[in-house]
Amino acid sequence: MATTARRADRWAGVVSFLDSPWAAPAVVLVVLATGAALLAAWYGVSAVSAFWFGSIGSWYGFTSGTLVRAVPLILTGLGVAIAFRAGVFNIGADGQLLAGATAAAYVGLEWSAALGHASLPAALILGTAAGALWAGVAALLRARFGVLEVISTLMLNFVATDLVAFLVRGPLQEPLHIYPQSATLPSVARLPTFGPTTQLHWGLALALVLAGAVWWFLARTAAGFRLRIVGANPFAAAVTGRVRVTRVAAWAFLASGALAGLAGAIEITAVTYALYDNLSPGYGFTAIAVAVLAGLNPVGVVFAGVLFAALETGATAMQRDAGVPSVWASVVEAALILILVAGASIRARAGNRHLRDAAS
Amino acid sequence: MNKRRFSIIINTTIALAVVACSDAPKSAGAAATPFRVALLTPGPVSDHSWNAGAYEGLLRIRDSLGAAISNIETKTPADFEDNFRQYGAQAYRLVFGHGFEFQDAARRVAPDYPNTDFVTTSGNTTGPNLAGLEFDLANPSYLAGMIAGAMTRTGVIGVIGGTELPPVRKSFVAFEQGARRANPHVRVLTSYIGNWDDVSAGREQALAQIARGADVIFQNADAAGLGVFQAARQSAHVYVFGSNSNQNDVAPDVTLGSVVIDLPHAFLTVAREVKDGTFRGRVISLGMTDDVVSLVLNPAMTSRIPAPVLTTVDSVRAQMLRGAFSAVDTLAPVAP
Repeated sequence: MATTARRADRWAGVVSFLDSPWAAPAVVLVVLATGAALLAAWYGVSAVSAFWFGSIGSWYGFTSGTLVRAVPLILTGLGVAIAFRAGVFNIGADGQLLAGATAAAYVGLEWSAALGHASLPAALILGTAAGALWAGVAALLRARFGVLEVISTLMLNFVATDLVAFLVRGPLQEPLHIYPQSATLPSVARLPTFGPTTQLHWGLALALVLAGAVWWFLARTAAGFRLRIVGANPFAAAVTGRVRVTRVAAWAFLASGALAGLAGAIEITAVTYALYDNLSPGYGFTAIAVAVLAGLNPVGVVFAGVLFAALETGATAMQRDAGVPSVWASVVEAALILILVAGASIRARAGNRHLRDAAS
Repeated sequence: MNKRRFSIIINTTIALAVVACSDAPKSAGAAATPFRVALLTPGPVSDHSWNAGAYEGLLRIRDSLGAAISNIETKTPADFEDNFRQYGAQAYRLVFGHGFEFQDAARRVAPDYPNTDFVTTSGNTTGPNLAGLEFDLANPSYLAGMIAGAMTRTGVIGVIGGTELPPVRKSFVAFEQGARRANPHVRVLTSYIGNWDDVSAGREQALAQIARGADVIFQNADAAGLGVFQAARQSAHVYVFGSNSNQNDVAPDVTLGSVVIDLPHAFLTVAREVKDGTFRGRVISLGMTDDVVSLVLNPAMTSRIPAPVLTTVDSVRAQMLRGAFSAVDTLAPVAP
């Protein structure tokens, strides 16, 4: 009996730590420090230094590298967080991002002569709408026919990728019809940067405002509350008779796609200025990791997005300046996710044991 | 207890991290090496093909010119621009972007770093410190065409490309010229697969040409071109010419030869210009007389080519190297 009690005690300590808001940052710090120590041991201090200065240790690296890369991760991460909160497993953020990028490129290229200074807002709004529409296909299939969104959104990613590949070789190809890419957007359709010497653009401000808005929506509004109960327990939500579960989930799905679509529109109007193959290096998939690491908390998504962006730009700098393979960052990202998921599972199991002990 | 243990771990790791970061000088910006060269590739340098050739060129620049080198695999247009800027900011003398897709980013970045020369392979965008590097396949393609025109039994030959890029098309036009020199009545079928990696689409295109009578096919389609070799193998009496790398070993029983680009030598040639200060922003075209492009015949198949044909090819090749003769470098199809 004494051992059981002691074991329960030990679990209680772990659980109370995992429940505290410091759990995720602590895990992140430990994993990062371990990674840095291993790096220094294997490749020498120059690798760690390249990583540091390339990601957050220099003003240029932080603003023009990390933060620029963080914008699509934050926006798609917010999208994934909203969907997951509503119990919708949207893993198609990458496809929705491409849909948004395509619409923004189309508007910027074809309508900018007519729209003038309205081109940029039009590109962003229609990009957002295209992302929602792309998610809407899967949302409709789910609401009408009960098609699993994990399957449909994943498949729609491939459709979007191939659609972009077709468009940049066909209707949207640059005027010389030589290269598989679209023409470059005119300057009226471009999102400005914060200054001439930086790559950092106003998309960051948009992402931060939206993170705040999503947080406020989920935490402070009745609709946000309904979304959360649908995610927590759809059956209980249905039983109340006050929540239309299918409809709430569908709206969350659309909002999720809209955020990913906006991310794509911003990439086009602020970073690449043209539509290409390989536009997204898997932003929509990294977004899942970002959202999970953030505990599906919109404010946490901002930090997790910046963290993953820093890992990736740092890894690039490390390959560039120290010759270290950039897959190292993927290993750290994977380790973070594994440890956090394991932590969540320990918490759930220990929580159950706690309840049983209390009941007996 | 647990919390205390955790805080100890965290404090130790933070201390470690701080130590690791603080004693690192800004090694990147302050290296003393005068000549530094960087390479951006669109894929892994272990691909035994396009990117591997460029990396080998970078290594040759290091070994022959004593340059300090750096390379990075970049995946998205955002990465292209960022890495160009980083190398520019670190005052690299020469930065290669290995593919046409790099030229938009290079054009935006080049004016900000006038002391760095930017070169995009297969690009046609130029500026004071921005050049495109293109390979003139015309002469060796002409020689391959001469052999094809002499060897066809049906009087029909084919060319199959990945997509209709200007260098590919020029190469095909020269091939057709060469074939007409050997056989004025030869008919040339032209197809483009639409991409560079769909092997089965390459095979389908080749089978379609073979069904229309083509018995010598010149392909320039990278990975998709492997399908052309497959199609030739499963048909009787069909020969193939390869492009870009030496593909004679891919299907030694049907491949007459390959129009080979010596990427490492091309990179070294450009780097030497930069080092000597003779570099100008332009489309740098390197061909047979630069020792960068050549027709490499498959030794296992030369016995099938009639000796008089080989003799003529050798004499035309000698004329080309002397500068006495050149295939017309044009995009326009040859008048029949």
